Amino acid sequence: MNRREFLVKSAACLAAGACAGPWARLASLAKAQPAVDLAVVQGPSPRANVRKAISLLGGISAFVRRGDVVVVKPNMAWDRLPEHAANTDPEVVAEIVRLCLEAGARKVKVFDRTCNEARRCYLRSGIQKAAEKEGAEVPFVLEQRFVKMSIPEGEELKSWLFYRDAVEADVLINVPVLKSHSVSGLTIGLKNLMGILGGDRGQLHHRFDKKIVDINTVVRPQLTLLDATRVLLRNGPQGGNLRDVQQMDTVVAGVDRVAVDAYGAVLFGRDPAQLGFLVEAQRRGLGVLDVKRLRVEKVSLAA
Amino acid sequence: MDLFLRGSPLVAVATILATRSWVTHVFLGLVVLALTVPLGRVFCGWVCPLGSTLDVVHKISLRKRKELKKPSPTRWRWVKFAILVGILVGAALGTQMLWPFDPIVILTRTADVALYPLFTIAVSSLLAVMVRVPFLEGAAYRAYSFLHAAWFPLQQPSFRLVELFFVLFVVILALEKASSRFWCRNLCPLGALLGFFSQFRLLHRQVDESCTACGLCRARCRMNAVEDDYVTTSAVECIACGECVSVCAPRATHYAFRKPARSGTVDLDRRRFMGATVASLATVGLLGIGFADRGRRGSVIRPPGALPEADFLDRCVRCQECVKVCSSTGGCLQPSLWESGLIGLWTPVAKPREGYCEYNCNLCGQVCPTGAIQRLPLEVKQRTKMGLAFFDKSRCIPWYRGEDCLVCEEHCPVPDKAIRFDQRMVRRPDGSEGLVKLPYVVEELCIGCGICATKCPVVGQGGIFLTNANEQRWIDSQFSSQ
Ligand code: SF4
Ligand code: SF4
Repeated sequence: MNRREFLVKSAACLAAGACAGPWARLASLAKAQPAVDLAVVQGPSPRANVRKAISLLGGISAFVRRGDVVVVKPNMAWDRLPEHAANTDPEVVAEIVRLCLEAGARKVKVFDRTCNEARRCYLRSGIQKAAEKEGAEVPFVLEQRFVKMSIPEGEELKSWLFYRDAVEADVLINVPVLKSHSVSGLTIGLKNLMGILGGDRGQLHHRFDKKIVDINTVVRPQLTLLDATRVLLRNGPQGGNLRDVQQMDTVVAGVDRVAVDAYGAVLFGRDPAQLGFLVEAQRRGLGVLDVKRLRVEKVSLAA
Repeated sequence: MDLFLRGSPLVAVATILATRSWVTHVFLGLVVLALTVPLGRVFCGWVCPLGSTLDVVHKISLRKRKELKKPSPTRWRWVKFAILVGILVGAALGTQMLWPFDPIVILTRTADVALYPLFTIAVSSLLAVMVRVPFLEGAAYRAYSFLHAAWFPLQQPSFRLVELFFVLFVVILALEKASSRFWCRNLCPLGALLGFFSQFRLLHRQVDESCTACGLCRARCRMNAVEDDYVTTSAVECIACGECVSVCAPRATHYAFRKPARSGTVDLDRRRFMGATVASLATVGLLGIGFADRGRRGSVIRPPGALPEADFLDRCVRCQECVKVCSSTGGCLQPSLWESGLIGLWTPVAKPREGYCEYNCNLCGQVCPTGAIQRLPLEVKQRTKMGLAFFDKSRCIPWYRGEDCLVCEEHCPVPDKAIRFDQRMVRRPDGSEGLVKLPYVVEELCIGCGICATKCPVVGQGGIFLTNANEQRWIDSQFSSQ
């Protein structure tokens, strides 16, 4: 280290120290940089899986601080029952809500812009009831609350409508469910964020890989937790046949959303490098696709 | 509203006549009719929601001018009987024509597609303005979310023909200017039907000797049923509303089960009776000749559980109950314009580009007051074919442009997917080549729900559309209707 570098660095340290207040949040996040990149927990209780996975990542307080407004974004787009595995498991969502409130979150909101009629989806997915029971707000999406945001790094899309509550939240936790989807191959975390988009989302389906990455450059969830409790293997994204559903009893959590999605693909038996949107996401620097380069902690919980 | 519809005697009589079958749905209507024989037109005076609405309107519009008016002429009374005869003759011939005239249907229709939406729009707009005011913002959003969650449609539905329904309704209200209960006195076929039976009523208006002949009862009678001697009352027209009892200062008036000296009869002479019959016959005949071209007929997609077309047209009273309930879920149903001919005007048709039939919904069959749409158990409804989807390869994105899309496939609710795809190398318009997922419809699986057409992102006419090919209609005996 030469003198110049030394001066710059110590000035930076001083500055950081001086601004301890506003920077505390960053500092705590940096401190909480977990020892693992991905936590993969398998076990019979979805709630226990969620708890374990989050504790492996350094605990919920690494993400949620006292007074935060948290948005938990599950997939509850379809008028299907939990057994159909078209929506995120209600227990998984409920446990996350509980943890956030325990960590002192001021408010936890759970919502999705649904594909079928909203009331039906909220009800039959079981999520509305489970999350409200834990103390979350589960409001319906109001068309008037979408805001147009520009996408500076967008290659296909230069702007789109985003849900105000999602972009204004202090913390966004993405809770997708792992399932088949014929356009993207799979629907996981990156795709799940379509649920906070307004406008005619059908327009996103062609040149999907690029567009979904464009969207993800603007919204950056602090934590992605993939629900693979039940996995819809065929006829996604809404299914309807119980024989298309496989019980996997697994939860995958991580900060790097590309890594979480890539791991989900592996779980599903697909090669992440063959999934266009993941390749595109890695190219654009959103995260790491090669699971072998990651520190993965796998835990199996007994019954 | 639903209860009123099922309790409308005219709906009961006309559907039973038109379908020549016992329709359990409208049983209540027959009870009301039977009650008319002892009690007279109590229904008109105390129950009919349109009548009550008219009374309110009358009160509001007359608040200022309290003076005694000369009773208006009775010379139009026969019109309602003529309309009734027309409807019944039509029904006897198997053509149901009551839908433009039944008061309960008129009110239900207007409330469902015009008044209620007007109300929700008004409240929503008010809240939308409040949101702009900084210190009201939070409260407004809270009210908004609450109303949407509990009560309001999540998305403001839109209906065809609203303006027409609304105008017709306003005209009926405006006729109050001419005289009170103008509609009931002169036009209402339900009133005519009840009036006919109430000739034989047992409950009558009585006037005793303390009458001072002040004339207030005659002037105030909504129906102009009291005659110049202030004693004689038309048994046909009197709706037993009790106004005469309450305005009578010496308390000379009351109601009792005793026959008075004289009472009126139905104002329909033989000439007018014949006229109405002939007009009705001609209408039925013309409706039968009415032309609906094949192109348009193919787009008449009926709700799941609809009876075969001829029976459906006889039963459907065009109340728009199904249209309204559908707007809160898939939102495919709309009142028909001309696609099913004049005879099918205002009947519900699915418009797949505007909305779709929600896979887990069978509400329309539940609200239909006449069984025109049968009440299907959900598993049956999910297998019932309303129509068939076809790709328009010159508009579907993968087919004409060689790019992946598959929004339709994503939304197709059939568990095994009625839309599938082949992955093939195609040459795109710009000359490049690539692997593209080309969708097609599996005819055996498609139930014609139309969500593919609703969600297709192609602007304007979609890349996939529906016809009523393959449609399945239910007949009454396949299900017990209750
Ligand atoms: S079953 Fe279909 S057509 Fe009937 S109300 Fe429900 S969504 Fe509408
Ligand atoms: S109409 Fe479309 S979405 Fe509905 S079953 Fe047929 S192909 Fe599927």
